[in-house]
Amino acid sequence: MKRVTALLLIFVLCLSMFAACSKKPSQETKTPDTGKQTNQDKEPAKDKEPAGDSTEDVATDEEITLSIYAQYADDDTKVPYDYAVEELKKAYPNVTLKLEVQAQDDGQKLMTYAATGNLPDIYQVALAQIENFKQSGNIMVLNDIAKATGFEDKVFDSAKNILYNEDGNIYAFPYAGNEYVVWYYNKAIFEKYNVEVPKTFDQLLEAIQIFRDNDIIPMSIFGAEGWITAAMYDVIATRWDAGGIAKLDDGKGSASEDAYLNAAKMMNTLVKAGLFQSSASSTNYDQAAQLFLNGESAMFINGQWFITDAAATLGDDVDWMYYPSYDEASYEAGKAVWSGGGAAAGYAVNPDSQHAELAAEVAAFISEKYCEAKVKYRGTPLVALDVDVQPEMEFPAMMQKLQADIPNQTSITKFAWHLTNAIFKTAIEDQTKYLLVEDYSPEEFITEINNALAQ
Amino acid sequence: MKKFYSNKPAIILFAVPALFVFTVFVFYPIVQVFNKSFYDWNGLGTGTFIGFENYTKLFKDTVFKISNKNALIFAGTITIFQMTLASTFALVLSNQRVKGREFLRIAYFIPVVLSVTVVCQLWLAIFNSDSGLLNTIFQRLGINYRQNWLSNRYYAIYAISFVNAWQWMGYQFALLMAGIKSIPNDYYEAAKIDGASTFLAHMKVTIPLLKETYKICLTISLTGGVKAFTEMFIMTKGGPGNSTYTLTYLMYKAAFREFRYGYGMASASILVIQCLIIILVINWLFRDREGRDAKWGRIKEKAN
Repeated sequence: MKRVTALLLIFVLCLSMFAACSKKPSQETKTPDTGKQTNQDKEPAKDKEPAGDSTEDVATDEEITLSIYAQYADDDTKVPYDYAVEELKKAYPNVTLKLEVQAQDDGQKLMTYAATGNLPDIYQVALAQIENFKQSGNIMVLNDIAKATGFEDKVFDSAKNILYNEDGNIYAFPYAGNEYVVWYYNKAIFEKYNVEVPKTFDQLLEAIQIFRDNDIIPMSIFGAEGWITAAMYDVIATRWDAGGIAKLDDGKGSASEDAYLNAAKMMNTLVKAGLFQSSASSTNYDQAAQLFLNGESAMFINGQWFITDAAATLGDDVDWMYYPSYDEASYEAGKAVWSGGGAAAGYAVNPDSQHAELAAEVAAFISEKYCEAKVKYRGTPLVALDVDVQPEMEFPAMMQKLQADIPNQTSITKFAWHLTNAIFKTAIEDQTKYLLVEDYSPEEFITEINNALAQ
Repeated sequence: MKKFYSNKPAIILFAVPALFVFTVFVFYPIVQVFNKSFYDWNGLGTGTFIGFENYTKLFKDTVFKISNKNALIFAGTITIFQMTLASTFALVLSNQRVKGREFLRIAYFIPVVLSVTVVCQLWLAIFNSDSGLLNTIFQRLGINYRQNWLSNRYYAIYAISFVNAWQWMGYQFALLMAGIKSIPNDYYEAAKIDGASTFLAHMKVTIPLLKETYKICLTISLTGGVKAFTEMFIMTKGGPGNSTYTLTYLMYKAAFREFRYGYGMASASILVIQCLIIILVINWLFRDREGRDAKWGRIKEKAN
């Protein structure tokens, strides 16, 4: 009897374990034949036809829920998303979006979803992941949908570079246009201490000294994030070579070139002079931004998306400056050379989605609405599409100044998250963070970057 | 009980669920780690077999050397700190005459139950070079010793190690306290009759009888130190630069930031081997002296 009971218990235990491991098929997003497909069975993206049939989807009034993996963290991401969802209800009343907030994890979660065949129907994707997903067939080619929906025609000519991938295909619908690394400064502090806006690095060093003598942090930086230190280095490097870090990423240059060594040396000099706050390498965005917005630091470096927040807090006291350079001639010439840029990234579609074509249409629609929301509510005209909406508020003066400057620009580089060489991206982020440490030599920096480029 | 042990089908039936879970969730993934370390694999698809290329690159990688050095520093620091303090506190609090024993026992254990993230945020605030408690204390005491605790390429690893050591000291303390409680009082009475002081009684009775507990503590500290990750991930992101990388962080960087899963698996394989070696060495060191001597005797005999 005891033996029978023991056997029965073991049987129940095993059964419950298997039951717990099983997955209930989701009616909302997956069908049994696609939802369980793992990455091993997939083919490259070019040969991949969408699994679903949108004609049927649109023709019927069937309630369809599409899963979407998107950023939803602050006003810059929440406002456009909420606006897009509201507009979607009007245009696609039978479609509901089920949002999963994107994790700030270098795309690990998305990779895991892809590896296990659980990608959402629509997902925001960075360029480096597109390259991976292209090979594994986890991303849909959107050329036809871009034409059919008119998305392709709405993209600004200046933003065509961020629509097409290197291979000429469209894998994601972008919404952000080319963006810029902006060197902000607090005009009131500069005026108070009679500091001229620096045009050269020598003038910048003098300004640093004056601010330090008056207990003002010359520049706050959120060095806990590698992309901003990479951007800072890129800003300096572009004074010598307009290609900046983008040139290294594209494999068209070596870190041993004078431009990159000079930039490393200059960054090291600025760090030693006390440009940044003392805990720069462990300061996060909120802390660094607060230092600037509270008037504790005189300068701040960030993307142009910070203009709205900066103007709202500091009003007329804040402005941006052209990047200082090694002499006045190069400063003038360098006004047309910017750090920043865009990439063929944005909303992508899972080719194995049950409603793949509908998801692609919705992705295009959402991207367009993002552009509208950014213009309408976020005070940024730097979007990928030419949208017919009027801003609710006048663009801040800094944005108008930037917008007026864009036609004069001759060159733009890349943000770290747009770098395609993942090894180089990691190295440039880590190593530029390292440059915030006084005793890290520029030569060590160059060696490490070259090692990364050699792999 | 004897009858039960002779019942092989029952033993097999009871062992199967645990073996199944172990195989699926531990053994198979470890085998896969070693297998994938021989592939050029981006985490998707099947990858390309490249033999020992990942290992060749790994051994040439300067970050690999830094990671191993940091693992040694981290493991050494936490082992010394935790075992010294945990032993001292456990021995002191085992004395019934110490006042506030209950309070101190709880106080020492509180960091253990806190989330690692909370602990790291707490110490990030303490280590902050501008407004952190540590620098403020030095300033208030009139000592000119302001430091960038987490931004120093040479000392950041020690600061991070200290955080881990501080948090998990209480765990080792609890293990040692439990061990001390299990020692029969008769031994101490006998020692007292022989004229031993409290210190001598601990040296001759408590510590030798805690051998198995110390073995567990040492294993936890050393393997925990070698595979450290969370503290550097939260506090320094491996920085400044790569000065606080460990093998686990190297694996994370290769796999999840560079999409070089094969390379990351090679790093993980080395980590697994290191942990196994540590466990084997500890087991060997803590073997019964008689058994160990006998084995050495046999080896010497054979050699002669």
